[in-house]
Amino acid sequence: MPPGGSPYRMNARSARNKATHRQLRQHNQQLVLRAIYNGLANNRAALAQETGLAKPTVSELIGELIEAGLLVEEGRGRSTRGGGKRPRLLKFVPQARHVIGLSVNDDHVIGGLSDLNGQVVAWHYTPLDEAHGEAVIDVISATINGLLAQLDAPLLCLGIGVPGVVDAQAGIVQYAPHIGWHDVPLARLLQDRYRVPVYLANSTALMAMAEYVYGPADQVASFVAVRVGASVGVGMVINGAIYHGGGEIGHLRLATHSPVESSADVTGRLVTFLGWPYVRQRAAALRRAHPDSLLPGDNAPLTYLHIHYAATNGDPAALMLRDELSRSLAQVFAWIIGLLRPDHVSLAGPIADLGEPFLAQTVAYARELLLPELVQRVSFSLSTSPNLVAMGAIAQALHLELGLV
Amino acid sequence: MMTLGVITNNQYSVFQRNVIAGARQVAEAHGYSLVIDSYAEDEAHPRPITLDYRRMAGVLVIANAAPPDLLRAIYRAGIPLSLVSHADPDLPVPAVFADNTQGIAQLVRHLVEVCGRRDLVFIRGLRGQRDSDEREEAFAREVMRYNLRVPPEHLLAGDFSAEIAAASLQRLLAAGARFDGVVASDYLMGIAAVETLRAAGWDVPGEVSVVGFGDGPEAEQAGLTTVAADVVEQGRRAARQLISQIEGLSMRGITLLSVRLVVRGTSVPGAQQTQ
Repeated sequence: MPPGGSPYRMNARSARNKATHRQLRQHNQQLVLRAIYNGLANNRAALAQETGLAKPTVSELIGELIEAGLLVEEGRGRSTRGGGKRPRLLKFVPQARHVIGLSVNDDHVIGGLSDLNGQVVAWHYTPLDEAHGEAVIDVISATINGLLAQLDAPLLCLGIGVPGVVDAQAGIVQYAPHIGWHDVPLARLLQDRYRVPVYLANSTALMAMAEYVYGPADQVASFVAVRVGASVGVGMVINGAIYHGGGEIGHLRLATHSPVESSADVTGRLVTFLGWPYVRQRAAALRRAHPDSLLPGDNAPLTYLHIHYAATNGDPAALMLRDELSRSLAQVFAWIIGLLRPDHVSLAGPIADLGEPFLAQTVAYARELLLPELVQRVSFSLSTSPNLVAMGAIAQALHLELGLV
Repeated sequence: MMTLGVITNNQYSVFQRNVIAGARQVAEAHGYSLVIDSYAEDEAHPRPITLDYRRMAGVLVIANAAPPDLLRAIYRAGIPLSLVSHADPDLPVPAVFADNTQGIAQLVRHLVEVCGRRDLVFIRGLRGQRDSDEREEAFAREVMRYNLRVPPEHLLAGDFSAEIAAASLQRLLAAGARFDGVVASDYLMGIAAVETLRAAGWDVPGEVSVVGFGDGPEAEQAGLTTVAADVVEQGRRAARQLISQIEGLSMRGITLLSVRLVVRGTSVPGAQQTQ
């Protein structure tokens, strides 16, 4: 061992310094790229002013970004007031890289191949066919491979959403019951296979990110997405970044006035009032009580759209079911609004097919459960756009990798 | 073995011709040539499929041109296989589709929200063909979403044939049906609907708006509002999918191509722009 400490220690330190230097450079590249992407500056001098970086540093970063194909020089701008050369103008090249965003759903994996503007050029869908454990990784890989076949530019990174308990920082899926996962280091597995950075998050968190970035709500600091389908989840975006809390809440118990007169336990789990298996069961029971109901018969497929359609046409069974679901969901809304006081709440997942009347009724019931001052400044929206989780995975990957979005 | 085999019923039909054109572009750029087995150019007298698939680097099958047994034989022989607008649920072979669901959703939304139409007629394609079935199911969902008036007799047979679509629509008109919008499962049937309605003295788009799935030069010529599902691009994507498999990338499932609403004069008076 040489004097003055172990070589291991020295290496560790120099590795750390290197990492810091690389991180700093990446951070500075992001500053420059973001300024151009957002239209705040389009030449070297303006970029130095906008980012606060020294001009030589800016020039060096721009050189690297041009080399990487992310920027091009295109034409010249006006000269400054003091005369002098007209500056070269810089333009962002959204087609320079591709990003893949993935979502592991109940019965399939779906991925989108996107450019750096979030414009999806192809989707790939692979059924899970009841795959469990490691077999799910193969389905994810088949999906990624399906999109790699369609790449027009180098792959920059991957984003992926998984329902369940996720440690986004460590890239580990701690618990995802429907695919039988416990402590699966998904980000590392995919990183080893595809040699690009992989960003993992909970599905509902990514849904919130997608709605925040691509949805109708403008200028909101705190944004919550409530997803209802097979189960119930909550995702949050606060000041433009995902807040990695929330996630699955279907197991929480709500012990208030339940509208359900069936045998369901009134102190039961949320999922037993709102989850799709319950909705289907309840629809069948209501239809037996209302033989003329417009709801489809026992062996016909039932979706939220069928319930919406029947309710819109004044069907008593469908109206009752929709009202019950409103009352249950209103409790979730009330807790979220009471605790977080978000600027915006978006209702997503299959239940969004129940449409605007359902959202309006739910908000009205939530108002009854809250101090009026709390609910006044919250805006609400419905999200029926498909593939929100994969879109969110794309947005999150662009956000973390390039500082865009 | 730098040859890709293509199995199709008729290489001269519009859809098939465009898929093959796209596939050929990509294949040639990658140093492959195409061998085309187009076995049903005479629809009344199809000949047996004779493609020697074992000698192919990979095989592309367009729509349901190959029977399930042949697909299985090719798959079992270890020959990379890609399907265009067709899928076999029991075979882990990838396919390329246009996004039928989104496309129909965009067409119906346009009719309802932009044109204010609520009494619709749907002209279906070939039942049992996957594109056709997906479009019909998507239409049924949108009818529920917007609570539209579509009685069962407004769901017309079209079989992806302009003649059959026109005949179905003529029968509906003769029965005195009232409606203010037509959605056709493909653009050729959409064009036939426009011609039939105008020949019967209807004002398109004044009294009735007409839209059709998919886009092509004929649709542009006719000024038909469509969702552009670029079929040449679908052929390119399918060839890339096949070549990637030949190069060792394993995949299954479905690649979906995004579609784009193209608003023209059969739905909105004087319109000729893309949304």
